Amino acid sequence: MSAYEYDAVVIGGGVSGIMASLTLASEGFKTALVSRGDPVCCLSTGCIDVFSHSDKPLGGIRALLPDHPYSLVGEKGIVDALCFFLEIMNEAGLPYEGDPGRNRKILTPIGSVKNTCLVPQSMAHADMPPGEYFHVISFQGIKDFFPSYLTSRHRNSTYSVYDAGVPTTLGIAARFDDATFLDAFITWLRGLEIPHDRVALPAVLGTIDPASAMEKISRAVGRKVFEIPTLPPSVPGLRLFRALKRVMQNRGIHLYWGKEVTSVERQGHTIEAVTLATTGRAKRVQGRAFVLATGSFVSGGLFAGRDSVRETVFDLPVAVPGERKDWFNTDFFSAGHSIERAGVRVDRSFRPAGAKIDNLFACGSILAECEIMSFQCGHGLAVATGVAAAKSCAQGLS
Amino acid sequence: MIKTDVVIIGGGATGCGIARDLALRGVHHYLVEKGDFANGATGACHGLLHSGARYAVTDPEAARECIGENAILRRIARKCVETTGGLFVRLPGDSKRYRDTFLTNCEDAGISTEVLSASRALDLVPELNPSIEEAVVVPDCSIDPFRLCMLNAFTSRHKGCGILTHHKVIDIVRERGRCTGVKVLDRFTSQIKEIRAKIIINATGAWGDTLARMGGSDAPMTLSKGSLIISNHRLTNMVINRLRPPSDGDIIVPNEAVCLAGTTSIPVDDPDAIEVDSREVDLVATQAEQMLPRFGTTRLIRAYTGVRPLLKAEASDSRSISRGFRIIDHNNGMFSILGGKLSTYRLMAEKTVDAVIKELGIKARCKTADIPLDGQDELSGYPLSKRLKGIDNIVCECELVDRAQVENAINSLGIQYIGDIQHRTRLGMGPCQGGFCTYRALGIMQETGRLTPEESIEILKEFLQRRFRGIRPALWGDQLREEQLVESIYLGILNMGQQA
Amino acid sequence: MTTFEHCVRCTLCVENCPVFKVNPAFPGPKQAGPDAQRFRLDGERSVDDWVRLCSQCQRCQVACPYGVNVSEIILKAQLKYSHEHMSPFAAHLFANTYHLGKLGSLAAPITNAVTSSAATRKIMGVLGLATNLPMPKYRFFSLNRGRRRKGRRRASRKVVFFHGCYLGFNRPDIGRGIRDLLAGLGCRVVIPGQTCCGLPALGNGDLEIAKRFARKNARMLVEYIDRGYRVVYACTSCGLTLVHDYPEVLELPEGRKIAENTYNVHELILDLLENDAPDVEFGEVDRTAAYHIPCHLKALGIGYPAAGIFEKIPGLKIAILDDNCCGLAGSYGFKKKNQQTAEKLGTISAFAIKTLEPDALISDCGACRMQLGHYTGLPVLDPSEVIIASLEKGASKESRGKRRIP
Repeated sequence: MSAYEYDAVVIGGGVSGIMASLTLASEGFKTALVSRGDPVCCLSTGCIDVFSHSDKPLGGIRALLPDHPYSLVGEKGIVDALCFFLEIMNEAGLPYEGDPGRNRKILTPIGSVKNTCLVPQSMAHADMPPGEYFHVISFQGIKDFFPSYLTSRHRNSTYSVYDAGVPTTLGIAARFDDATFLDAFITWLRGLEIPHDRVALPAVLGTIDPASAMEKISRAVGRKVFEIPTLPPSVPGLRLFRALKRVMQNRGIHLYWGKEVTSVERQGHTIEAVTLATTGRAKRVQGRAFVLATGSFVSGGLFAGRDSVRETVFDLPVAVPGERKDWFNTDFFSAGHSIERAGVRVDRSFRPAGAKIDNLFACGSILAECEIMSFQCGHGLAVATGVAAAKSCAQGLS
Repeated sequence: MIKTDVVIIGGGATGCGIARDLALRGVHHYLVEKGDFANGATGACHGLLHSGARYAVTDPEAARECIGENAILRRIARKCVETTGGLFVRLPGDSKRYRDTFLTNCEDAGISTEVLSASRALDLVPELNPSIEEAVVVPDCSIDPFRLCMLNAFTSRHKGCGILTHHKVIDIVRERGRCTGVKVLDRFTSQIKEIRAKIIINATGAWGDTLARMGGSDAPMTLSKGSLIISNHRLTNMVINRLRPPSDGDIIVPNEAVCLAGTTSIPVDDPDAIEVDSREVDLVATQAEQMLPRFGTTRLIRAYTGVRPLLKAEASDSRSISRGFRIIDHNNGMFSILGGKLSTYRLMAEKTVDAVIKELGIKARCKTADIPLDGQDELSGYPLSKRLKGIDNIVCECELVDRAQVENAINSLGIQYIGDIQHRTRLGMGPCQGGFCTYRALGIMQETGRLTPEESIEILKEFLQRRFRGIRPALWGDQLREEQLVESIYLGILNMGQQA
Repeated sequence: MTTFEHCVRCTLCVENCPVFKVNPAFPGPKQAGPDAQRFRLDGERSVDDWVRLCSQCQRCQVACPYGVNVSEIILKAQLKYSHEHMSPFAAHLFANTYHLGKLGSLAAPITNAVTSSAATRKIMGVLGLATNLPMPKYRFFSLNRGRRRKGRRRASRKVVFFHGCYLGFNRPDIGRGIRDLLAGLGCRVVIPGQTCCGLPALGNGDLEIAKRFARKNARMLVEYIDRGYRVVYACTSCGLTLVHDYPEVLELPEGRKIAENTYNVHELILDLLENDAPDVEFGEVDRTAAYHIPCHLKALGIGYPAAGIFEKIPGLKIAILDDNCCGLAGSYGFKKKNQQTAEKLGTISAFAIKTLEPDALISDCGACRMQLGHYTGLPVLDPSEVIIASLEKGASKESRGKRRIP
């Protein structure tokens, strides 16, 4: 087989595309992942929201409309996919915690509490019983983190400020990778009199392995420590992505990064290859099957013109809710602007409906009826549909 | 109870101009405005300091007024005016006769013109439609209306007079048929204050009739809304006009780091209930595209609308009603100043104050044309690229607003609302429309104790709603992507959608 | 150039910027690129000297999913600034890397003694050069002093080897290895007279010198392309310059043709292995190596072709490391004002490498090898060296008369 011939080619390097690639590779298929840039999970909290509007995510899912992509995966499929994710993260050296059966809490930078399902270990202790308080550590000059938001909302909580020598989340995280810096920080922390059982800080505990920094700090001061995810640039988001990428590379998945797909070769009902706009001479990537995981508008998988929406790689038919004037409610905070439902419809095998292509599958937020903001289900949906679509694709390949 | 000689109602360009004029003539006064400066038409206009050429054919009197004021404002308001120059472009099909009359009338009015070939025009503004026939250079400029109001009011404060923004007039006090004062509601403390004065000046623009009626009189007006769109960046460094009878969407003005294109003209009844219609957005974009083709595909970051206060007339097309102004003495202690345009605010103020001081029996000459506006030194100037020099501690990265500017704005003039910081510093006026920096600025405010954390979150929510209203009609393409990203931050990471 | 319009301020570029991470004086690629660009449209004299802190690693541009040409916008701003202001001495020096190389190579033993002396270090410090990194050694027998043609004259595959200054003057041995490897796989390889690709000049703000070098090379390359030759590069920065900067930044009329006919050496080798030399044997290489991906290889967007070849080598365990910039960034890290940045980044990269406990480090880029060799203390290899070692082992197992691998 030629160097650029693959069994499966996944287009879109976000969580759903990555999970699809890992699923296919684990079933022994030679897999390539093509992405025109970094994915939006790098900007996220790094947590896996499965369905945040109820205490038990699966219960919430059962009540969803049959149009929602979760129902295509099925409850067992969702749980299996989430377990697969946990295995992958262990392999990556960035262990996650959580139980698909129940949601857990993390804190936000404004002190509100958010439901999520799977969290990196460094955020596990944010799941506090009500009435428990914490001490916040902030950093000198850090731009988008204001500890007084947290202490005002959790009245008995307190805070201190440490000078890390750099004011950015990334810069501070890079410093935490350095053992000398961590030791100096711990010495300082020990010198404080922390009145509470828990210590919280913005998510800057290193760029690769926050759990071990967290353990070290925790042991030294005898307190539970947890991170609070920040606005972008988001270190936990970046950690999540890089960990997933490491596993992909270790498992021999070939990554083609930074160039978009500019043309598609189709022969009857089969996609044969995609071409990337590599500098100079276009690169042709051939596959026996393709998985589209390019995301929604923010990721570039869908593009909205003044009055229409198109899918940007294969020009698949897109379900659009009405005209532009109907896309958004007048209330910014309303659950469910109808544009959230726009996307590609798929059948039970995750093949795009109405496209008449045998070897193309779709997963992730490009799917119609996702309503990610309304249900707070982004990464959960990505994991579940990524794995499910890949399994369907694997069946097709065998 | 506050006692003064004159109360000015309205903090737009006219009201602030009157305040300054009175201050320089030594007349004590109070100005009350229900919102921040430039709350009405002043803050929702094109930001164009007319050369007057636009009116040369249809309203030569107005044209003459404009060019006179144009020269004065360039002199006295250096930091508010960017001397961009302007082009009137003639496209294939545009009337040659109009063009000839245009050139003659400009000359008569004293407006300098220079005719350029298409290729010369394209050298000056490379983004112009390559199929233009020719272009005429005129001394149009871009002006910052907010800054203008603020600096005018500065003189007033400096002379010990009162400027009360966020104070809404809820009643006009009348004794024996005469207007003797106003009752105002302080928006933030809910306190009601009474200000007694000898004369009340109604400079409320589109609300002119409402206020006149409160005073026991009336001021018939025609109201029409005009909507404009804002592009992501400067597609031109000169004002671009269409060389044809004035119509919708035929002006594009470079303003700070964006372009403002407009406008439309739709009759309305209620100046408080106006929204931009997505059809207006499409209309303006289509017209602008004819002069600058890239306007059809470029990213639009927002749309906004304002109400034109025009003197009532019989004509059905509100555009053809003269934009000249009128001063009405209601003979009850109240004067109304109606109509007019931003470019001639100073002249309108001068004439109004002339009438008012005559009534007060004072003799004093107008000095506003001679003395430059105060407070200009601290302001950032033009050209824009100079602002890239030292960038440190930036709060709004799109518009290069640093922490010092934000703190200055917070510390001055009793700022309590995030919108007020925006007007003064341009925070949040860029492509992300405050998606990131508003959170940051509010964080700074609550950290410095100006607001409690709870208050700042409430304001953040209000702000996000207001911002969304402006963006909603132009949400497609890149701006739709932007919006999804902002949603993922506020509704996702900060979880503000639910209980917050 | 209007791609900045697509920026939604997501900060994905910022998350990938190595300079932003360690140097608070650099506000990041979003600020330096699309944010600042809205203020640069008036054609006035530049005042944004801080844009020169960008090392042009291009990670920002690779990360951007919206098609904003972040690093290119910054590059143009850097060029404009340098054009309008006097450049520091170090910039002039490095713009002429080629001439330094020629001179250094000519007087090699003396040059090498001088550059490593303490007195020279002092002078270098005064002139604005970094003093922590050892200067690369020059070789008298530069690549153009050896055999300039190899392989069967009638070979169907003909390649022009564009080797770049580093392989040309500092590591001609690696260059010769590549020449022989390609010849052994059935190509006709020629090494015509060539000059610097022009990137050091571009990176030091001198568009004129860059264009001059580029035009000379372009004339030579096109001559060969028209005769059916393919251009091949091993240094990934030279490669990026040829395929991207020649058409897009330097706007050479032949740029497009050159871009379409230029190949990464490992891309070519994979092609040769598949089509021309399918029965080549890879011998065992029992090594655990870290493969550090140069930033500019990422920017090329062709994937990591050498990794595809390593997969064929039995016994070789490779860990791909592509999250960190080594910090040297060509001549960037050799300048005093960037010394701390380069040190911090070198240390971070080295730490990530050492954690894996490899017994060697592989990288396609000479600058990465210099920098990381210094900070890890590990033996550093070009991918071709590993491939050659494996093929030699494989060849020794075969009987005589079959393919000759040097």
